[in-house]
Amino acid sequence: MMEVDAWENSSDGTVISEDDFQDRKDDEDPYSLGSIPKMQFRKDVSKACWDAEMGMAEIIEMKGGLWTTTGIVRRRKLYCSIEETLYLAERGALLLLDVNHTPISLRAIYEMVGERSSGCCWESFEAYRHLKSLGYIVGRHGVPWSMKKEKGSCESTYPQGTQENNGVAQRDLEENVSLTGLLGNMQINEVKLAFDVYLPNSKFRKSSPGDPSFVLCLTRFHPPLNEELEDLERKCNGIPLKFCHIEHGRVSFFSFNKIALPILP
Amino acid sequence: MGPRWKDNGSKATALADPMSNIVARLQSSLIQSGTCGFLSGCGVLLEISHDQVGLLNHACFGRPVTTADTDTNWFRLSLEEAFYMHHCLKCVEIIGEDKSPKRDDELWECMKLKKRTFLEFYKAYSHLRGKNWVVRSGSQYGVDFVAYRHHPALVHSEYAVIVSSEAEGHENCRLKLWSDFECTVRLSGSVAKTLLVLHIKSNENCTFSPSCLEGYTVEERTITRWSPEQRREDQPIVKAESSKG
Repeated sequence: MMEVDAWENSSDGTVISEDDFQDRKDDEDPYSLGSIPKMQFRKDVSKACWDAEMGMAEIIEMKGGLWTTTGIVRRRKLYCSIEETLYLAERGALLLLDVNHTPISLRAIYEMVGERSSGCCWESFEAYRHLKSLGYIVGRHGVPWSMKKEKGSCESTYPQGTQENNGVAQRDLEENVSLTGLLGNMQINEVKLAFDVYLPNSKFRKSSPGDPSFVLCLTRFHPPLNEELEDLERKCNGIPLKFCHIEHGRVSFFSFNKIALPILP
Repeated sequence: MGPRWKDNGSKATALADPMSNIVARLQSSLIQSGTCGFLSGCGVLLEISHDQVGLLNHACFGRPVTTADTDTNWFRLSLEEAFYMHHCLKCVEIIGEDKSPKRDDELWECMKLKKRTFLEFYKAYSHLRGKNWVVRSGSQYGVDFVAYRHHPALVHSEYAVIVSSEAEGHENCRLKLWSDFECTVRLSGSVAKTLLVLHIKSNENCTFSPSCLEGYTVEERTITRWSPEQRREDQPIVKAESSKG
């Protein structure tokens, strides 16, 4: 019985029985390749409704503590990007519904990611999942967590207008209009600024997130050229960059740091 | 990653006699003796006095050429080393096929013909030497140079150096594919060196004389693997036996 359950969940995961809402143990599968951090399954299931026009999911029922670091707040509503949605759905922490409140299957969400229609491809999802499952706080680059500025909080030095389309994004989100303009553009460049990443932090607040610890860039075909590095560094205004390379599901991260080699005696 | 000195006393030895002093002693000795070298293949042969053997070895220029003739001492310099000693230290003349010393611009053209990437490699070499780092060939580690804080007898090399340029016709093909990139980072780390990319930039179009070097700049970047599990830049694994050099 245990064996059958294990197979069911690892291969498909569309149906997860009550017994499986428990953390897996490291030593369960001796054949595990160990490249993907351990998955934790949730008992609390939130509900969200997919807004195809926005390319985001609106949260309609919130459960568990994960919402302090997931989703963006607009007009007192909480929206999840496709990668956040899929991440939670994979873990059984989110039930996604369509406009008619019919559940959307995990398979359908995988297909949405495959189509790249909501500004996220499979590789960016893998990068997102890798960092998220290690406790990092990850948001779309340049998309504010919340439009509210908290009184007395440290004003972020993070440049809000670094991406050309960022202003558009903010206005769009503010007015609750479509995000497609922003999301569509994210796919054009060979190297893109994908995620703002914060170190694991229990005191994280969407209203005053501060500067991210680094911006994660995804490259598609080859390592970044010097020109590309300089261009991205200018756009990020002093926030460190890291580059992510994904091949065969293996996620690697690299830093390209400018240094000044000391003049020796 | 800090320097890895070879022995307990190595650091003190290096501090007591900085590389700049050693190079200065070599420079004045070679000037005094009016040393001449001549081009031979992709390098320069230098005949020197017995006392100068130790100085060249100390300053880490070239490699001794062993011969049965105990009255003469021969050293072979790489193109970069020879041009540095000629053009920057001004302590070596270099003779051409016509037996007369070559002018700076003649030698410059000649070396560029012998090595397609000479300009960029020389800029990188002289940049590191100018900061008193000892620079040797990196071919053992699949890179262009390795850089030492002092003499290789005292300290392991700290950086595996790749010279990068995007100038047309002088592109270095290194690190352009993910497979090569991952391989180079992995190898450098496993021999306890940090991968250093020297990016050579210029607005100059004219490269007919060595004076064009002033129009070139060098940007230094390290490439390191970051491990999100450990939240730190990867520290290369130090293995006692696998990291000589």
